Amino acid sequence: MDHGFLENVAQENGLAGVSPYVKLAVGLGAILLVLLSPTWVTPLFIAVSLGMAVLLLARIDPHLYVHLLAAPLLFAVLSVAAVVLVTGGGQVFWAWQPVFGFALSLTAGSISQGLLVFSRVLGGMSALFFIALTTPMTELFIVMRRCRVPPGLVNLTMFVYRSIFILSDQVDQVLSAQRMRLGYSSAREAVASFGNLCGASFIASWECGEDLIRAMDARCYEGRFAMLEESAPVHARHLATAGLFLLATSALLLATATGSVPWGPA
Amino acid sequence: MHIMEGFLPLEWCLVWWIIALPFLAWGVVRLNRILAADREALPLLGITGAFIFILSSLKLPSVTGSCSHPTGTGLSAICFGPAITSVVCLVVLLFQSLFLAHGGLSVLGANIVSMGIVGPLAGYLVYRALRDTRVNLYFTVFFACAVADLFTYMTTSLELALAYPAEVGGVATSFGVFFVIFAITQVPLAIIEGIVLALVFKYIIQLKPEIISRLRIFPDEAVRAARGEA
Repeated sequence: MDHGFLENVAQENGLAGVSPYVKLAVGLGAILLVLLSPTWVTPLFIAVSLGMAVLLLARIDPHLYVHLLAAPLLFAVLSVAAVVLVTGGGQVFWAWQPVFGFALSLTAGSISQGLLVFSRVLGGMSALFFIALTTPMTELFIVMRRCRVPPGLVNLTMFVYRSIFILSDQVDQVLSAQRMRLGYSSAREAVASFGNLCGASFIASWECGEDLIRAMDARCYEGRFAMLEESAPVHARHLATAGLFLLATSALLLATATGSVPWGPA
Repeated sequence: MHIMEGFLPLEWCLVWWIIALPFLAWGVVRLNRILAADREALPLLGITGAFIFILSSLKLPSVTGSCSHPTGTGLSAICFGPAITSVVCLVVLLFQSLFLAHGGLSVLGANIVSMGIVGPLAGYLVYRALRDTRVNLYFTVFFACAVADLFTYMTTSLELALAYPAEVGGVATSFGVFFVIFAITQVPLAIIEGIVLALVFKYIIQLKPEIISRLRIFPDEAVRAARGEA
Protein backbone atom coordinates (compact mmCIF):
# COMPACT_ATOMS: atom_id res chain seq x y z
CA MET A 1 0.00 0.00 0.00
CA ASP A 2 1.29 3.47 -0.86
CA HIS A 3 1.28 5.77 2.19
CA GLY A 4 2.97 8.70 0.46
CA PHE A 5 6.13 8.05 2.49
CA LEU A 6 9.49 8.80 0.89
CA GLU A 7 10.63 5.44 2.26
CA ASN A 8 8.65 3.61 -0.46
CA VAL A 9 10.57 5.56 -3.13
CA ALA A 10 13.91 5.07 -1.35
CA GLN A 11 13.54 1.27 -1.40
CA GLU A 12 13.62 1.26 -5.22
CA ASN A 13 15.98 4.14 -6.02
CA GLY A 14 18.88 3.97 -8.52
CA LEU A 15 21.52 4.52 -5.81
CA ALA A 16 20.48 1.44 -3.80
CA GLY A 17 23.85 -0.17 -4.61
CA VAL A 18 25.82 2.69 -3.02
CA SER A 19 26.90 2.25 0.61
CA PRO A 20 24.67 4.12 3.12
CA TYR A 21 27.85 5.55 4.69
CA VAL A 22 28.76 7.30 1.43
CA LYS A 23 25.22 8.63 0.94
CA LEU A 24 25.04 9.85 4.55
CA ALA A 25 28.47 11.49 4.25
CA VAL A 26 27.29 13.38 1.14
CA GLY A 27 23.93 14.39 2.69
CA LEU A 28 25.21 15.37 6.14
CA GLY A 29 28.36 16.99 4.68
CA ALA A 30 26.16 19.06 2.35
CA ILE A 31 23.93 20.15 5.27
CA LEU A 32 27.00 21.28 7.23
CA LEU A 33 28.38 23.20 4.24
CA VAL A 34 24.97 24.84 3.68
CA LEU A 35 24.98 26.06 7.30
CA LEU A 36 28.59 27.25 7.13
CA SER A 37 28.05 29.21 3.93
CA PRO A 38 27.94 33.02 4.36
CA THR A 39 26.46 33.54 0.87
CA TRP A 40 23.61 32.08 -1.20
CA VAL A 41 26.02 30.65 -3.81
CA THR A 42 27.11 27.43 -2.07
CA PRO A 43 23.59 26.42 -0.90
CA LEU A 44 22.29 26.99 -4.45
CA PHE A 45 25.16 24.92 -5.90
CA ILE A 46 24.32 22.12 -3.43
CA ALA A 47 20.59 22.32 -4.27
CA VAL A 48 21.29 22.05 -8.02
CA SER A 49 23.93 19.30 -7.80
CA LEU A 50 22.05 17.11 -5.29
CA GLY A 51 18.82 17.73 -7.21
CA MET A 52 20.55 16.45 -10.37
CA ALA A 53 21.94 13.45 -8.44
CA VAL A 54 18.46 12.56 -7.17
CA LEU A 55 16.87 12.93 -10.63
CA LEU A 56 19.60 11.44 -12.84
CA LEU A 57 21.45 8.95 -10.62
CA ALA A 58 18.71 7.87 -8.20
CA ARG A 59 16.16 8.13 -11.06
CA ILE A 60 13.42 9.70 -8.92
CA ASP A 61 10.33 10.91 -10.83
CA PRO A 62 10.85 14.67 -11.53
CA HIS A 63 7.14 15.41 -10.89
CA LEU A 64 7.40 13.80 -7.45
CA TYR A 65 10.58 15.75 -6.68
CA VAL A 66 9.07 19.11 -7.65
CA HIS A 67 5.90 18.26 -5.70
CA LEU A 68 7.98 17.34 -2.63
CA LEU A 69 10.07 20.51 -2.76
CA ALA A 70 7.06 22.79 -3.34
CA ALA A 71 5.46 22.34 0.12
CA PRO A 72 8.47 23.24 2.31
CA LEU A 73 9.50 26.01 -0.06
CA LEU A 74 6.07 27.64 0.19
CA PHE A 75 6.40 27.60 3.98
CA ALA A 76 9.97 28.90 3.61
CA VAL A 77 8.74 31.88 1.55
CA LEU A 78 6.31 32.85 4.35
CA SER A 79 8.89 32.40 7.12
CA VAL A 80 11.60 34.22 5.17
CA ALA A 81 9.14 37.08 4.57
CA ALA A 82 8.78 37.40 8.37
CA VAL A 83 12.58 37.38 8.80
CA VAL A 84 12.98 40.05 6.07
CA LEU A 85 10.35 42.32 7.66
CA VAL A 86 11.64 42.18 11.25
CA THR A 87 15.41 42.25 10.71
CA GLY A 88 17.25 45.26 9.35
CA GLY A 89 20.62 46.77 8.42
CA GLY A 90 21.95 48.81 5.47
CA GLN A 91 19.96 51.06 3.15
CA VAL A 92 16.27 51.36 4.10
CA PHE A 93 13.78 50.95 1.21
CA TRP A 94 10.55 50.92 3.23
CA ALA A 95 9.70 51.17 6.92
CA TRP A 96 6.54 51.16 9.02
CA GLN A 97 6.42 51.80 12.76
CA PRO A 98 2.80 51.61 13.99
CA VAL A 99 3.73 51.68 17.70
CA PHE A 100 6.88 52.50 19.64
CA GLY A 101 9.18 49.48 19.93
CA PHE A 102 7.72 47.65 16.92
CA ALA A 103 8.71 48.24 13.32
CA LEU A 104 8.62 46.44 10.02
CA SER A 105 11.09 47.36 7.33
CA LEU A 106 12.62 46.37 4.03
CA THR A 107 16.35 47.08 3.99
CA ALA A 108 19.32 45.98 1.92
CA GLY A 109 20.60 43.94 4.89
CA SER A 110 17.28 42.22 5.58
CA ILE A 111 16.74 41.32 1.91
CA SER A 112 20.22 39.83 1.64
CA GLN A 113 19.65 37.89 4.90
CA GLY A 114 16.29 36.67 3.57
CA LEU A 115 17.97 35.52 0.37
CA LEU A 116 20.63 33.68 2.39
CA VAL A 117 18.03 31.97 4.63
CA PHE A 118 15.92 30.96 1.61
CA SER A 119 18.96 29.53 -0.22
CA ARG A 120 19.95 27.64 2.95
CA VAL A 121 16.47 26.11 3.22
CA LEU A 122 16.63 25.17 -0.48
CA GLY A 123 20.11 23.62 -0.11
CA GLY A 124 19.30 21.99 3.24
CA MET A 125 16.02 20.51 2.00
CA SER A 126 17.78 19.19 -1.13
CA ALA A 127 20.37 17.47 1.06
CA LEU A 128 17.62 16.08 3.30
CA PHE A 129 15.70 14.80 0.24
CA PHE A 130 18.93 13.25 -1.05
CA ILE A 131 19.20 11.18 2.16
CA ALA A 132 15.46 10.47 2.40
CA LEU A 133 15.03 9.42 -1.23
CA THR A 134 18.19 7.31 -1.58
CA THR A 135 18.70 5.72 1.87
CA PRO A 136 15.97 3.38 3.19
CA MET A 137 15.51 3.27 6.98
CA THR A 138 16.54 -0.37 7.03
CA GLU A 139 20.06 0.73 5.97
CA LEU A 140 20.05 3.47 8.62
CA PHE A 141 19.34 0.88 11.35
CA ILE A 142 22.53 -0.93 10.38
CA VAL A 143 24.48 2.35 10.50
CA MET A 144 22.92 3.21 13.90
CA ARG A 145 23.89 -0.15 15.35
CA ARG A 146 27.45 0.05 14.01
CA CYS A 147 27.80 3.62 15.34
CA ARG A 148 27.02 2.26 18.84
CA VAL A 149 23.75 4.12 19.33
CA PRO A 150 22.28 2.75 22.65
CA PRO A 151 20.60 -0.63 21.85
CA GLY A 152 17.36 0.37 23.62
CA LEU A 153 17.04 3.37 21.30
CA VAL A 154 17.80 1.30 18.16
CA ASN A 155 15.21 -1.29 19.19
CA LEU A 156 12.65 1.43 19.89
CA THR A 157 13.36 3.00 16.47
CA MET A 158 12.86 -0.37 14.76
CA PHE A 159 9.58 -0.97 16.59
CA VAL A 160 8.30 2.48 15.67
CA TYR A 161 9.29 1.84 12.03
CA ARG A 162 7.46 -1.48 11.94
CA SER A 163 4.37 -0.12 13.67
CA ILE A 164 4.03 2.92 11.40
CA PHE A 165 3.09 0.75 8.41
CA ILE A 166 0.63 -1.42 10.38
CA LEU A 167 -1.05 1.60 11.93
CA SER A 168 -1.20 3.60 8.76
CA ASP A 169 -3.10 0.79 7.00
CA GLN A 170 -5.63 0.74 9.84
CA VAL A 171 -6.00 4.51 9.83
CA ASP A 172 -6.55 4.48 6.04
CA GLN A 173 -9.32 1.89 6.39
CA VAL A 174 -11.12 3.70 9.23
CA LEU A 175 -10.75 7.05 7.44
CA SER A 176 -12.26 5.69 4.18
CA ALA A 177 -15.15 4.13 6.12
CA GLN A 178 -15.80 7.43 7.95
CA ARG A 179 -15.66 9.45 4.72
CA MET A 180 -18.07 7.08 2.98
CA ARG A 181 -20.53 7.60 5.84
CA LEU A 182 -20.19 11.42 5.59
CA GLY A 183 -18.23 11.56 8.86
CA TYR A 184 -16.52 14.80 7.81
CA SER A 185 -19.55 16.64 6.41
CA SER A 186 -19.56 19.41 9.04
CA ALA A 187 -16.96 20.89 11.40
CA ARG A 188 -18.64 19.39 14.48
CA GLU A 189 -18.99 16.00 12.81
CA ALA A 190 -15.35 16.18 11.65
CA VAL A 191 -13.97 16.78 15.16
CA ALA A 192 -16.04 13.87 16.57
CA SER A 193 -15.01 11.54 13.71
CA PHE A 194 -11.36 12.55 14.04
CA GLY A 195 -11.49 11.85 17.79
CA ASN A 196 -12.99 8.42 17.11
CA LEU A 197 -10.36 7.74 14.45
CA CYS A 198 -7.52 8.61 16.86
CA GLY A 199 -9.13 6.64 19.72
CA ALA A 200 -9.69 3.59 17.53
CA SER A 201 -6.10 3.74 16.27
CA PHE A 202 -4.73 4.10 19.80
CA ILE A 203 -6.60 0.97 20.93
CA ALA A 204 -5.65 -0.86 17.74
CA SER A 205 -2.00 0.14 18.37
CA TRP A 206 -2.16 -1.14 21.90
CA GLU A 207 -3.55 -4.48 20.74
CA CYS A 208 -0.88 -4.65 18.03
CA GLY A 209 1.75 -4.17 20.75
CA GLU A 210 0.26 -6.96 22.85
CA ASP A 211 0.11 -9.30 19.82
CA LEU A 212 3.70 -8.43 19.05
CA ILE A 213 4.82 -9.37 22.57
CA ARG A 214 3.09 -12.75 22.24
CA ALA A 215 4.62 -13.33 18.78
CA MET A 216 8.08 -12.38 20.06
CA ASP A 217 7.73 -14.60 23.13
CA ALA A 218 6.93 -17.48 20.80
CA ARG A 219 10.18 -16.75 18.94
CA CYS A 220 12.39 -16.55 22.07
CA TYR A 221 12.93 -12.75 22.06
CA GLU A 222 15.85 -11.84 24.32
CA GLY A 223 16.01 -8.06 24.09
CA ARG A 224 17.72 -7.70 20.73
CA PHE A 225 15.82 -7.34 17.49
CA ALA A 226 17.65 -9.53 14.95
CA MET A 227 18.38 -8.10 11.52
CA LEU A 228 20.46 -8.96 8.53
CA GLU A 229 23.41 -6.61 9.05
CA GLU A 230 24.42 -6.39 5.42
CA SER A 231 24.64 -3.22 3.41
CA ALA A 232 26.22 -2.29 0.09
CA PRO A 233 30.05 -2.15 0.41
CA VAL A 234 31.96 1.12 0.00
CA HIS A 235 33.30 1.23 -3.59
CA ALA A 236 36.37 3.37 -4.36
CA ARG A 237 34.50 4.97 -7.31
CA HIS A 238 31.59 6.06 -5.10
CA LEU A 239 33.95 7.31 -2.39
CA ALA A 240 35.97 9.32 -4.94
CA THR A 241 32.81 10.90 -6.42
CA ALA A 242 31.48 11.82 -2.96
CA GLY A 243 34.89 13.19 -1.90
CA LEU A 244 35.17 15.23 -5.11
CA PHE A 245 31.70 16.72 -4.62
CA LEU A 246 32.40 17.70 -1.00
CA LEU A 247 35.85 19.09 -1.87
CA ALA A 248 34.53 21.13 -4.80
CA THR A 249 31.70 22.50 -2.63
CA SER A 250 34.13 23.36 0.20
CA ALA A 251 36.40 25.15 -2.32
CA LEU A 252 33.42 27.16 -3.60
CA LEU A 253 32.44 27.98 0.00
CA LEU A 254 35.99 29.21 0.78
CA ALA A 255 36.13 31.23 -2.43
CA THR A 256 32.80 32.96 -1.73
CA ALA A 257 33.58 33.45 1.98
CA THR A 258 36.91 35.15 1.30
CA GLY A 259 35.49 37.29 -1.47
CA SER A 260 37.75 35.85 -4.20
CA VAL A 261 34.75 35.49 -6.52
CA PRO A 262 32.32 38.25 -7.55
CA TRP A 263 29.42 36.82 -5.50
CA GLY A 264 31.32 36.90 -2.20
CA PRO A 265 30.07 38.85 0.82
CA ALA A 266 30.42 42.61 0.60
CA MET B 1 4.75 22.52 11.78
CA HIS B 2 8.43 22.10 12.54
CA ILE B 3 11.40 24.33 11.80
CA MET B 4 12.74 23.17 8.44
CA GLU B 5 16.21 22.13 7.41
CA GLY B 6 18.57 25.06 6.84
CA PHE B 7 16.36 27.66 8.55
CA LEU B 8 18.40 28.08 11.73
CA PRO B 9 22.02 29.31 11.68
CA LEU B 10 24.64 26.72 12.67
CA GLU B 11 25.31 28.22 16.13
CA TRP B 12 21.63 28.00 17.08
CA CYS B 13 21.39 24.42 15.77
CA LEU B 14 24.27 23.57 18.13
CA VAL B 15 22.74 25.46 21.09
CA TRP B 16 19.44 23.56 20.80
CA TRP B 17 21.23 20.25 20.38
CA ILE B 18 23.26 20.99 23.54
CA ILE B 19 20.04 21.80 25.45
CA ALA B 20 18.27 18.69 24.10
CA LEU B 21 21.06 16.19 24.77
CA PRO B 22 20.88 16.03 28.62
CA PHE B 23 17.10 15.48 28.41
CA LEU B 24 17.58 12.78 25.80
CA ALA B 25 20.27 11.12 27.93
CA TRP B 26 17.87 11.19 30.90
CA GLY B 27 15.16 9.76 28.64
CA VAL B 28 17.44 6.94 27.42
CA VAL B 29 18.38 6.09 31.03
CA ARG B 30 14.66 5.99 31.96
CA LEU B 31 13.94 3.95 28.83
CA ASN B 32 16.61 1.38 29.69
CA ARG B 33 15.34 1.19 33.28
CA ILE B 34 11.77 0.63 32.14
CA LEU B 35 12.84 -1.97 29.59
CA ALA B 36 14.88 -3.82 32.23
CA ALA B 37 11.91 -3.87 34.63
CA ASP B 38 9.15 -4.62 32.13
CA ARG B 39 10.05 -6.27 28.84
CA GLU B 40 6.52 -5.73 27.57
CA ALA B 41 7.09 -1.97 27.58
CA LEU B 42 9.15 -1.83 24.35
CA PRO B 43 6.42 -2.79 21.87
CA LEU B 44 4.00 -0.47 23.65
CA LEU B 45 6.45 2.43 23.44
CA GLY B 46 7.15 1.58 19.80
CA ILE B 47 3.45 1.64 19.07
CA THR B 48 3.11 4.97 20.91
CA GLY B 49 5.86 6.42 18.72
CA ALA B 50 4.06 5.17 15.62
CA PHE B 51 0.81 6.61 16.98
CA ILE B 52 2.39 10.07 17.43
CA PHE B 53 3.89 9.80 13.93
CA ILE B 54 0.56 8.87 12.34
CA LEU B 55 -1.31 11.50 14.37
CA SER B 56 1.08 14.23 13.30
CA SER B 57 0.95 13.15 9.67
CA LEU B 58 -2.86 13.38 9.67
CA LYS B 59 -4.35 16.75 8.88
CA LEU B 60 -6.85 18.03 11.40
CA PRO B 61 -10.30 18.96 10.09
CA SER B 62 -9.62 22.16 8.18
CA VAL B 63 -11.60 24.51 10.40
CA THR B 64 -8.93 27.19 10.18
CA GLY B 65 -8.04 26.31 6.63
CA SER B 66 -4.49 25.55 7.72
CA CYS B 67 -2.56 22.42 6.90
CA SER B 68 -1.44 22.00 10.51
CA HIS B 69 -1.56 18.78 12.41
CA PRO B 70 -1.90 17.65 16.03
CA THR B 71 1.37 16.91 17.84
CA GLY B 72 -0.03 14.13 20.02
CA THR B 73 2.80 14.60 22.48
CA GLY B 74 0.45 15.67 25.29
CA LEU B 75 -1.12 12.22 25.21
CA SER B 76 2.29 10.53 25.35
CA ALA B 77 3.40 12.79 28.23
CA ILE B 78 0.27 11.86 30.22
CA CYS B 79 0.71 8.13 29.50
CA PHE B 80 4.48 7.74 29.82
CA GLY B 81 5.88 10.96 31.37
CA PRO B 82 8.05 13.68 29.80
CA ALA B 83 11.41 11.83 29.87
CA ILE B 84 10.24 8.89 27.77
CA THR B 85 8.26 11.26 25.55
CA SER B 86 11.46 13.15 24.67
CA VAL B 87 13.10 9.93 23.40
CA VAL B 88 9.95 8.85 21.56
CA CYS B 89 9.83 12.32 19.98
CA LEU B 90 13.45 12.03 18.87
CA VAL B 91 12.53 8.86 16.97
CA VAL B 92 9.29 10.33 15.61
CA LEU B 93 10.99 13.55 14.46
CA LEU B 94 13.74 11.52 12.77
CA PHE B 95 11.10 9.52 10.90
CA GLN B 96 9.16 12.66 10.04
CA SER B 97 12.22 14.25 8.48
CA LEU B 98 13.16 11.12 6.53
CA PHE B 99 9.67 9.84 5.63
CA LEU B 100 7.80 13.07 5.07
CA ALA B 101 10.52 15.76 4.86
CA HIS B 102 8.89 17.56 7.82
CA GLY B 103 11.62 19.25 9.84
CA GLY B 104 15.25 18.36 9.28
CA LEU B 105 18.41 16.87 10.72
CA SER B 106 20.43 19.96 11.72
CA VAL B 107 17.28 21.47 13.30
CA LEU B 108 16.34 18.20 15.00
CA GLY B 109 17.72 19.51 18.33
CA ALA B 110 15.52 22.64 18.13
CA ASN B 111 12.46 20.61 17.16
CA ILE B 112 13.11 18.13 20.00
CA VAL B 113 13.32 20.99 22.51
CA SER B 114 9.97 22.44 21.35
CA MET B 115 7.95 19.33 20.51
CA GLY B 116 9.68 16.72 22.65
CA ILE B 117 10.71 18.57 25.81
CA VAL B 118 9.01 21.92 26.55
CA GLY B 119 5.55 21.06 25.16
CA PRO B 120 5.23 17.64 26.85
CA LEU B 121 6.76 18.98 30.10
CA ALA B 122 4.20 21.82 30.23
CA GLY B 123 1.37 19.40 29.43
CA TYR B 124 2.62 16.94 32.05
CA LEU B 125 2.78 19.64 34.76
CA VAL B 126 -0.83 20.64 33.99
CA TYR B 127 -1.87 16.97 34.15
CA ARG B 128 -0.06 16.45 37.50
CA ALA B 129 -1.58 19.62 38.92
CA LEU B 130 -5.12 18.60 37.97
CA ARG B 131 -4.91 14.80 38.26
CA ASP B 132 -5.84 14.46 41.93
CA THR B 133 -8.27 17.36 42.07
CA ARG B 134 -12.01 17.31 41.48
CA VAL B 135 -11.53 18.58 37.93
CA ASN B 136 -13.23 16.30 35.42
CA LEU B 137 -10.86 13.75 33.86
CA TYR B 138 -11.66 14.87 30.30
CA PHE B 139 -11.01 18.53 31.17
CA THR B 140 -7.64 17.50 32.61
CA VAL B 141 -6.74 15.76 29.33
CA PHE B 142 -8.07 18.71 27.33
CA PHE B 143 -6.01 21.26 29.27
CA ALA B 144 -2.84 19.13 29.33
CA CYS B 145 -2.93 18.46 25.58
CA ALA B 146 -3.89 22.03 24.60
CA VAL B 147 -1.14 23.47 26.83
CA ALA B 148 1.42 20.98 25.41
CA ASP B 149 0.48 22.10 21.89
CA LEU B 150 0.59 25.81 22.71
CA PHE B 151 3.93 25.57 24.50
CA THR B 152 5.38 23.66 21.55
CA TYR B 153 4.57 26.55 19.23
CA MET B 154 5.61 29.21 21.75
CA THR B 155 9.00 27.51 22.00
CA THR B 156 9.26 27.29 18.21
CA SER B 157 8.52 31.04 18.02
CA LEU B 158 11.19 31.71 20.66
CA GLU B 159 13.72 29.58 18.76
CA LEU B 160 13.04 31.57 15.58
CA ALA B 161 13.09 34.90 17.44
CA LEU B 162 16.44 34.16 19.10
CA ALA B 163 17.96 33.28 15.73
CA TYR B 164 16.45 36.31 13.97
CA PRO B 165 15.95 39.17 16.49
CA ALA B 166 14.13 42.25 15.18
CA GLU B 167 16.12 45.39 14.50
CA VAL B 168 13.64 47.40 16.61
CA GLY B 169 12.64 45.67 19.86
CA GLY B 170 15.04 42.71 19.50
CA VAL B 171 14.02 39.17 20.45
CA ALA B 172 10.73 40.26 22.08
CA THR B 173 9.38 41.91 18.92
CA SER B 174 10.55 39.07 16.75
CA PHE B 175 8.93 36.56 19.13
CA GLY B 176 5.69 38.56 18.90
CA VAL B 177 5.72 38.51 15.10
CA PHE B 178 6.46 34.77 14.84
CA PHE B 179 3.97 33.91 17.57
CA VAL B 180 1.20 35.97 15.95
CA ILE B 181 1.85 34.15 12.65
CA PHE B 182 1.62 30.80 14.46
CA ALA B 183 -1.23 31.87 16.76
CA ILE B 184 -3.60 32.49 13.85
CA THR B 185 -3.63 28.75 13.21
CA GLN B 186 -2.23 27.34 16.45
CA VAL B 187 -4.59 28.74 19.09
CA PRO B 188 -7.69 27.23 17.42
CA LEU B 189 -5.62 24.16 16.64
CA ALA B 190 -4.49 23.71 20.27
CA ILE B 191 -8.15 23.89 21.36
CA ILE B 192 -9.18 21.37 18.69
CA GLU B 193 -6.27 19.10 19.63
CA GLY B 194 -7.37 19.26 23.28
CA ILE B 195 -10.94 18.33 22.29
CA VAL B 196 -9.79 15.53 19.96
CA LEU B 197 -7.46 13.99 22.54
CA ALA B 198 -10.14 14.25 25.25
CA LEU B 199 -12.42 12.35 22.84
CA VAL B 200 -9.62 9.78 22.37
CA PHE B 201 -9.56 9.34 26.15
CA LYS B 202 -13.33 8.99 26.24
CA TYR B 203 -13.08 6.29 23.59
CA ILE B 204 -10.32 4.46 25.52
CA ILE B 205 -12.23 4.69 28.83
CA GLN B 206 -15.37 3.27 27.22
CA LEU B 207 -13.70 0.44 25.34
CA LYS B 208 -10.46 -0.41 27.11
CA PRO B 209 -10.27 1.19 30.58
CA GLU B 210 -7.62 -1.34 31.66
CA ILE B 211 -5.05 0.67 29.66
CA ILE B 212 -5.64 3.69 31.95
CA SER B 213 -5.38 1.48 35.06
CA ARG B 214 -2.25 -0.32 33.91
CA LEU B 215 -0.37 2.89 33.17
CA ARG B 216 -1.81 4.44 36.37
CA ILE B 217 -2.83 7.54 34.42
CA PHE B 218 -5.88 8.28 36.57
CA PRO B 219 -7.11 6.75 39.86
CA ASP B 220 -9.55 3.85 39.35
CA GLU B 221 -12.35 5.82 41.03
CA ALA B 222 -11.97 8.64 38.50
CA VAL B 223 -12.10 6.12 35.62
CA ARG B 224 -15.20 4.45 37.11
CA ALA B 225 -16.83 7.85 37.56
CA ALA B 226 -16.03 8.75 33.95
CA ARG B 227 -17.66 5.48 32.84
CA GLY B 228 -20.74 6.40 34.84
CA GLU B 229 -20.25 3.45 37.23
CA ALA B 230 -19.69 5.37 40.43
